[in-house]
Amino acid sequence: MENEGRRKFLGVCVAGATAAAAVAAGYPVFRYLAPRSGQGGAAKLVIPAGELKEGDAKFFEFAGSSAVLIKTKSGELVALSAVCTHLGCIVQWVKEKQQFQCPCHGGQFSTDGTVLGGPPPRPLAKIPLTVTEGNITIG
Amino acid sequence: MLKRLYRWLDLRIGVGEIVEKELTGYLLPRNINEWYSLGSVLLVIFALQVITGMLLMIYYVPDADKAFKSVTFIMNEVPFGWLIRLCHAVGSNMMVAVLILHMLSTLLMGSYKAPRELNWVTGFTLLALVQGISLTGYLAPWSQLSFWATTVATNSASAVPVVGPYLVEFLRGGKLVGPPTLGRFFALHAAVLPVVIAALIGAHLFLLKRTGISAPPFGREGTANPFEAQQYHYQGHPGGIPFFPNYALQDLSSISIYFAIFLAVVFFWPGMPFTPDAFVPADPFKTPAHIKPEWYFLANYQTLKIFPSELLGLSVQAAAMTFLALLPFIDRSPERHPLKRPVFLTLVIAGILLWIALSVWGHLS
Ligand code: FES
Repeated sequence: MENEGRRKFLGVCVAGATAAAAVAAGYPVFRYLAPRSGQGGAAKLVIPAGELKEGDAKFFEFAGSSAVLIKTKSGELVALSAVCTHLGCIVQWVKEKQQFQCPCHGGQFSTDGTVLGGPPPRPLAKIPLTVTEGNITIG
Repeated sequence: MLKRLYRWLDLRIGVGEIVEKELTGYLLPRNINEWYSLGSVLLVIFALQVITGMLLMIYYVPDADKAFKSVTFIMNEVPFGWLIRLCHAVGSNMMVAVLILHMLSTLLMGSYKAPRELNWVTGFTLLALVQGISLTGYLAPWSQLSFWATTVATNSASAVPVVGPYLVEFLRGGKLVGPPTLGRFFALHAAVLPVVIAALIGAHLFLLKRTGISAPPFGREGTANPFEAQQYHYQGHPGGIPFFPNYALQDLSSISIYFAIFLAVVFFWPGMPFTPDAFVPADPFKTPAHIKPEWYFLANYQTLKIFPSELLGLSVQAAAMTFLALLPFIDRSPERHPLKRPVFLTLVIAGILLWIALSVWGHLS
């Protein structure tokens, strides 16, 4: 009987030690594998205003994702996420039509991101921007 | 919960039978000792090398221009990258050390003798392969140490008559150690050798299962039924101790002791696997002074230096290795107790002392 209790106690100790060892080994491995934070572009980006002609679009990396800056024919500046809200493809800029087109399933967006046609359920996300002395600060 | 899962599996694939045969009903000699658990320790080390190696591959780039940088990145930037790399580097050293101990215990207890010649031969081949995988892995970080150690090691093949120079070029994939060498060494280190080693470990264990565990020649009275050379015979140990839970606990405590030593080295002596040259990127135009191989190659290195001609040094080593590999075919007496084999014991001790002396000499010179 006493033996029985001792056996149980030792069993619990072994299980506890094993669990502790598994955590001690697992945590470093998890951290090693986890995606590194703060990677893939700054949260703020400065683009010289002169870089962009009217009617053009410029794609860039922003906060780890793809984004696009356009200057409309009327000279307005808009920054949008370039990730299609349907299934996540990167939209393309069609200069002639002055709108975005998604190559995957034909989603269409206007210059301010609203859906013009196709499957996308939501407009493209807007990114705030400020213009100071010929510099466009995004984010 | 566990019991129900066990029942469920048992009903379908008969786990109970396997457990009975391989674990609880698998009887080991009553006088089995701690040394027999080194094989399990080696299995754990190998598994750990495979896992840490796979993890390193996530960030390591096997390209001469990027290898050193990627290793630096692992060490300095990746969370716990230093830990994974140190475990891999220290683990390789420990693997060789434990392998040597494992072989010494086999040697002293005479377990290599008939009918276990094949166990010895596969084990010996494993030693050679582990040395090979250590050597090829040494180049991976593309540091000055890697580069020149590999230059020296591959260069010794040039002593082979006639084909020597061509052989060196073939090993290196070029006249000198360079990017092509890294490519082939990396393929050997990360793809070819691990598979071959795993297969041989399988064969080694298979042979062990077929012949049965050899009883140690000393300690409490043995329980073995002796081998007769006429026909195949499994050495069982009726009345012995069950592998599970009795010997499994011994295995577990040996593994725990191993881990204590291993982690002590990893945490308190992280420089053990490295010399200062390991922290300088490879430069093919600048040989660092005092370039030396790892400790387990020091004896070989020193032998090459002692003999006037490289060919002679290489032949002596080859002869010694062949002699050891074929030992069970040369030493045929059935006596296994080391104290009853004075000539053998003297030779073994002399051999170990010679090896240590050569290594120390090689280290100091
Ligand atoms: S992902 Fe853009 S339309 Fe489907």
